Amino acid sequence: MKPFAIKDCALLVRMSGLPPAYNLRDLRERIAVCADDVLYHHFCETPLRPTFDNPDYRNDFAVWTRKCLGDRMLAERLGIVDPYAFESTAQLRAATLDLIEERLAELTPWVPTVRPGREFFFLEATTVVFDTGEQIPHPLAMPHAIRKMTDGSVFFHFLESRRRHPVGVDDFSAWLRETGDEFHPYIEAIGAIDFYFLTLKQLRAEIHRVLIEIEVMR
Amino acid sequence: MTLSLSDYRDVAGMSAIRELRLLGDKIAGAKVVHVNSTREGGGVAEILRWMIPLMRDLGLDTTWEVIEGTERFYEITKTIHNGLQGQQVYLSAKDWAMYCEVNRENADRLRSKIEDADIVLIHDPQPAPLLQFMEKRKGKWIWRAHIDVSHPYRPIWKGLRQYIQGYDASIFSMMEYAQPLPHPEFLVAPSIDPLSDKNRILTQQELSSVFAEYNLDPDLPLLVQISRFDRFKDPVGVIQAYRLVRKVTPVQLVLAGGGANDDPEGKAVLAEVMEEAGGDPDIHVLLLPSDAHVRINALQRLATIVIQKSIKEGFGLTVTEAMWKGKPVIGGDVGGIRLQVFNHHTGFLVSTPEGAAHRIRYLLHHRDRIDQMGDAGREFVRDNFLLTRHLREYLTLMLVVTKGATQRLLTV
Repeated sequence: MKPFAIKDCALLVRMSGLPPAYNLRDLRERIAVCADDVLYHHFCETPLRPTFDNPDYRNDFAVWTRKCLGDRMLAERLGIVDPYAFESTAQLRAATLDLIEERLAELTPWVPTVRPGREFFFLEATTVVFDTGEQIPHPLAMPHAIRKMTDGSVFFHFLESRRRHPVGVDDFSAWLRETGDEFHPYIEAIGAIDFYFLTLKQLRAEIHRVLIEIEVMR
Repeated sequence: MTLSLSDYRDVAGMSAIRELRLLGDKIAGAKVVHVNSTREGGGVAEILRWMIPLMRDLGLDTTWEVIEGTERFYEITKTIHNGLQGQQVYLSAKDWAMYCEVNRENADRLRSKIEDADIVLIHDPQPAPLLQFMEKRKGKWIWRAHIDVSHPYRPIWKGLRQYIQGYDASIFSMMEYAQPLPHPEFLVAPSIDPLSDKNRILTQQELSSVFAEYNLDPDLPLLVQISRFDRFKDPVGVIQAYRLVRKVTPVQLVLAGGGANDDPEGKAVLAEVMEEAGGDPDIHVLLLPSDAHVRINALQRLATIVIQKSIKEGFGLTVTEAMWKGKPVIGGDVGGIRLQVFNHHTGFLVSTPEGAAHRIRYLLHHRDRIDQMGDAGREFVRDNFLLTRHLREYLTLMLVVTKGATQRLLTV
């Protein structure tokens, strides 16, 4: 069995070059034209950015809508959007635009606007990936290895992996699939984690927990 | 004392140090030169003092060069600094020419040290024109803006921009600080050094000595605001909040900071604060020298609640320092305080003395929440605002810039 090579990653954030959004209509217009990486950053890369893990909303659009626009209703609708549930960024973009357009229609002719200094800045990032030199030799060694992983490793192997081939699959499950049926319960348990609303620390603890649970049952 | 990376293992965690070593290995041997305008005093010199040895520890051939200039040169760069922060100031064509000329002289002096560097980091506006005198430069040049240029006085920004736009990249501390430029603009937040005098763990003796020195009452909860005597820090508003609390709950207040020595506005604000305090024995107004790091550290550690009721703020590293000491922070809803204080999690954001008083009372009546928020704040800082994260982002940035990466994923 080929061992699992543990990678780590670090995020470097930069301005996207798009003008900031001062109101909900601006937000809609910018989301319609921004690069896929911008959308991906605001939905998926926030756990690696030096920001507080907002327990209420997991993406920047929902946080801004609540905290700056003061629109709790739209924030709730945006906050529940799970970007990993979409097959493509195009679908994620369409769904996000649909929610904002619906809200704009509900509020017409009023367009919620922020105070100066509260605008939404569009960002993107480069993720630098590097080998840790560490490996998981066998699936039974996974719980121990995962417990020791950095946030960057958890992000790269569990979340970022879903954008790579095979799309929508975490690296651990992809590796376990290569080992045949013996570790199918592991794949099922990992697949059942409702991960989008967990912080990276909670996610690491949860993966560790479900794998330990299976070991105990075995 | 020069610290090495391994000294930070206990506070930042083994994995953070391991990550830095792995990233450092990918760029080890690179010649990196930092250039700024002073070796002593100010936030940039403070950062470079820890960053240079730690970069060397990671295997980077790192040096720190300082430009030299006349008194007039520094008056001009101070004017540029003020203009970038929005003040309506004037510089003549002759002033701009002198700004440029002093940099040309420095370029001649520093050429052999920086022309062949792989990465040159130019800090703030003073040395910005150096780039244009390095026609044979080999490496990547990055302009690091430590100041807020979000609302500059346009003629000053226009004058400076011509020197900035030729850089390969720039770095800003917060997205709100940036200006559009024709190259990648990276975001790297500031950080604190957990082992510095301002943040290290203090002995009981050091704490007791400060407690006694300022005659604090051991039976009263202690509210502390550390900041310059500056209207933007709203010290008078903090006293008003204290009085509102004091009506129902016994409490004492410390307002400590510098900034009144040679600063006419600082003196005026200090006088206003003393008047507002009105001789109340439970309000301690302390004018501290700029090197009173241990005393500031002690006051933050002795505090029950830390206040930073600014009405305008940069990143707000005093908030970061307080949170690192496990204190909930009641902060003004402005600037970088918003990036650190989250209602009911690490403290409370407020906009008025009444709001501050309300939150102080809430916390004094829910002592368990003080500990919970303090713990959450400390872990938030550990994960995000220690110098290890700052260093990791610089290493990442160097890798991205030297490899000319524009794609989302860069494997090194």
